[in-house]
Amino acid sequence: MAASTSNALNWFLHRITGTFLIFMLITHFWVQHYDHQAASVTHEVVTEQGAMPDYPEEAKEGVRARFGPDAEATPYQVVMQRLADPVYAVLWKGFNILFLIVALHHGFYGLNNVMTDYIRDPMGRLIARSLSWTVALGLLIIGMYSVITAGW
Amino acid sequence: MAVDTQERPAPTASQEGATAEQDSRFQRYRIRTGMFAWMMHRLTGVGLVVYLIIHIWGLTALTDPETFNALIAKYHSPIFKVGEFALLVAVAYHAMNGLRIVLIDFLGWSPNQKKLFWTLGAVTAVIILVGGWPSIYSLGEWILGPGSMPTLFL
Repeated sequence: MAASTSNALNWFLHRITGTFLIFMLITHFWVQHYDHQAASVTHEVVTEQGAMPDYPEEAKEGVRARFGPDAEATPYQVVMQRLADPVYAVLWKGFNILFLIVALHHGFYGLNNVMTDYIRDPMGRLIARSLSWTVALGLLIIGMYSVITAGW
Repeated sequence: MAVDTQERPAPTASQEGATAEQDSRFQRYRIRTGMFAWMMHRLTGVGLVVYLIIHIWGLTALTDPETFNALIAKYHSPIFKVGEFALLVAVAYHAMNGLRIVLIDFLGWSPNQKKLFWTLGAVTAVIILVGGWPSIYSLGEWILGPGSMPTLFL
């Protein structure tokens, strides 16, 4: 009974997290790729041999305004103008932690659905489930560490 | 509507090759539009989990400026631009097909579901073209030379 209740709850949560992810991904994409000031990855640039990408004027100005007139707009500094801001840092860190939890639950619940369909042996299922959720927990800890310590 | 398997084909379907016995863990189904959509949903889903693992692992580079800059510089190499576009295709497909599943699950089956399928298909195509344009642009500039691609809304 407990197992079937939790499966129904997870099934429901999978729909909810999926719907949430659409909106969170739109925000994530906008900030990381399209906003000319805050995008750490500029889409329009292909470089070779590890050369640094060039950033738009808005990004350069933003970095100079935060880190001084000599600050260079490197990918790290562009991220930091967002994450080092005392007000927005909390907002973005909160967003990213929520995003991390929702994405991991959605991804690993989905993966478990797929694995349960193809693994028939109960012991095999148990191993696959334990292993995958252990990986998810590890990624949650690693991810939260990256998000929280960024900009310190 | 029942699902037609090769052991139990639809009454009007031809009987050739209908003797397939279940000897593998993969049931052999007739692949129609809905089944194809489901298979692609699984494939993109598993692919996105693999990407999620790499992505979270890669972001540990945020703890060190040099490492992070080197990582992002690598993301601007041509092969990653192709990967970036493939990622957008997988995300857009999985998101829109997932939205379709959620709508059917929560609002119930509707005779308009084919219309929903093709409408969301069109939305997916627009997301891929508009969202993927910067990637296509940068790859075009790299292959055909600077200034050879129209800037459009960039």
